[in-house]
Amino acid sequence: MKKRLLLLPALLLLGTNTALGAAPDTVTIPMQDYKAILQELRALRDRVDQLEKKSPTGKQTAAAVPGSVKKDIDDIYDTLDEVETKTLRDKINFGAELRTRVDNFKVKNHTYFSTGTVAKKESNDNSWSNRFRLNMDAEIRKNLKFTGRLTMYKNFADSDTSDPGIIGDANYAHLQDNSNIKVDRAYVDWVPSGLPVPLAITFGRHPSSEGPPMEFKENRKRQSTYPSLLFDGEADGVVATIGLERYTGLANSGLRFAWGKSYQEDDDIEPYLDKPGGLDDSNVFAAFLESAIPGVDNSLMVFSALRVNDLVADFQGAIPGINSNDNANVGDMDLYGIHMQAAKVAGSSFDVFLSLGLNESHPNGKTISYGSAKMGLLNNDGESDHSGWAVYTGFRYTFDWPRLNHPKFGFEYNHGSDYWFSFTQGSAELYNKLAARGDAYDFYYIQPFNSNLFMRLGYTYIDYNYKMSGFHVGDMGGSNETLRDAYMLIDCRF
Amino acid sequence: MKKRLVTIAMLGGLGLTAGISMAGGQDLFVQKCGACHQKGGQAAAVNPADKAGRVWKKYFKRGRHPVDLGIDDASLGEIIGYLVGHAADSDQPAAAVIPK
Repeated sequence: MKKRLLLLPALLLLGTNTALGAAPDTVTIPMQDYKAILQELRALRDRVDQLEKKSPTGKQTAAAVPGSVKKDIDDIYDTLDEVETKTLRDKINFGAELRTRVDNFKVKNHTYFSTGTVAKKESNDNSWSNRFRLNMDAEIRKNLKFTGRLTMYKNFADSDTSDPGIIGDANYAHLQDNSNIKVDRAYVDWVPSGLPVPLAITFGRHPSSEGPPMEFKENRKRQSTYPSLLFDGEADGVVATIGLERYTGLANSGLRFAWGKSYQEDDDIEPYLDKPGGLDDSNVFAAFLESAIPGVDNSLMVFSALRVNDLVADFQGAIPGINSNDNANVGDMDLYGIHMQAAKVAGSSFDVFLSLGLNESHPNGKTISYGSAKMGLLNNDGESDHSGWAVYTGFRYTFDWPRLNHPKFGFEYNHGSDYWFSFTQGSAELYNKLAARGDAYDFYYIQPFNSNLFMRLGYTYIDYNYKMSGFHVGDMGGSNETLRDAYMLIDCRF
Repeated sequence: MKKRLVTIAMLGGLGLTAGISMAGGQDLFVQKCGACHQKGGQAAAVNPADKAGRVWKKYFKRGRHPVDLGIDDASLGEIIGYLVGHAADSDQPAAAVIPK
């Protein structure tokens, strides 16, 4: 461009010479024409100067634009820099939940063991509790995501610490304790790229509580990968998920292999060392095959199999009036489950579910002592093996009442056999409903006020047939205990 | 054991090299940028943690520095690498290399 522009005045000059037809050394032109040519040359030089200020890449420098515009552009860029820097530093998104709940309990014939009835007041007119959760997530990279949840859960005006035999690693964030914040879940999902099969690795403190179908009653999205009848608690571990959708053609189908520890022996003074003569670690191995139910929209089915080795019996004084420092690895347990659920079945307003569970104990001959009693894995002699089963079913109906924000009514029923046991210690139900060795009936009504706030009114009745529901030790015979709970809660999420 | 020692030495070497490279970026930044950008200097003090890494890259790509830096391309590349490596959104932000 520069060359062309320089040639232009030269040609102009040559053209002028020719037109004038004067001698080659001398040119005579009128003053007016001469001035016009000079003016043209000056304009062309200025234009060349301007073009020379363009960067080699063709981008105009700031100097090429008028000063006022340049200042505006700089201001805009400065603001953009500041905003973008702040945005990039906001690595974690936060959300919160707050739930206030009041329960009216009535319990009859409450016993822990065959050693007698424990003196307890059998009713509580109004038991109030608060639960606060801080939810976090971050997309670290396209294939790397972090999710976390911190929880405080306490009774009103009560900040002492719960009994260590009742509250433990699997339910620290799910039982009323004190105003301390607990890490309920903190895990990373990593989807390695370039692998021949779709694979996701999850490690950390897992989303292993409040799984299907609890999202119906909790009025929220699915919270866990595991059906709540089999596993509902806080757990540390590693999970590998293989996506099967491209092979089976079934929506959301996948195969999960999970490993974790339900107990890890350590010396509390030097936590990286085992206690001399201490217990063996208890490992959990599990596989879950899940998919949408073929031909059913909004559905889920999960086939589960779990093996827990070297289960530990160690209540550390959980039973009032009975002191024991005894503990032992008492054997292994297998668990199997089938879970099916569908939302808005066949275009209706019904959400339904059915869950089945089976457990088999493999005792190793060891027992622990509590007073005069001996307890092994679902036995008192350390040797007898047992199996149990459970069924859990129910529905939720959504009313087509837009003026009332589409309230919901639900009913749930579960039955557990005499030797039913699964890992539901972290249940959001106050009394570990799904562990019941007996019949549990549960009615609830959800009244949404807006998309962030709802109220739930509920009534639960449990008729226990066998003692020590939710415990994997002992065989303490039949029970005529009942529990009734009428409650109201209000829940705000944002 | 010999293998282990060799590995440790190699890793140590790598760490040292990385350290030198990082220190080189920092030295250049302090020397070249800090000449003007300092407390009481011709321009306000500046540090890598003043902007996010992506923002630093855009800043230089857009030619936003108001005066000619007078730095060769290789040195400028090293300085930008240092700024990005210690930017506000990095895992080791540097906010006080040049005191404010």
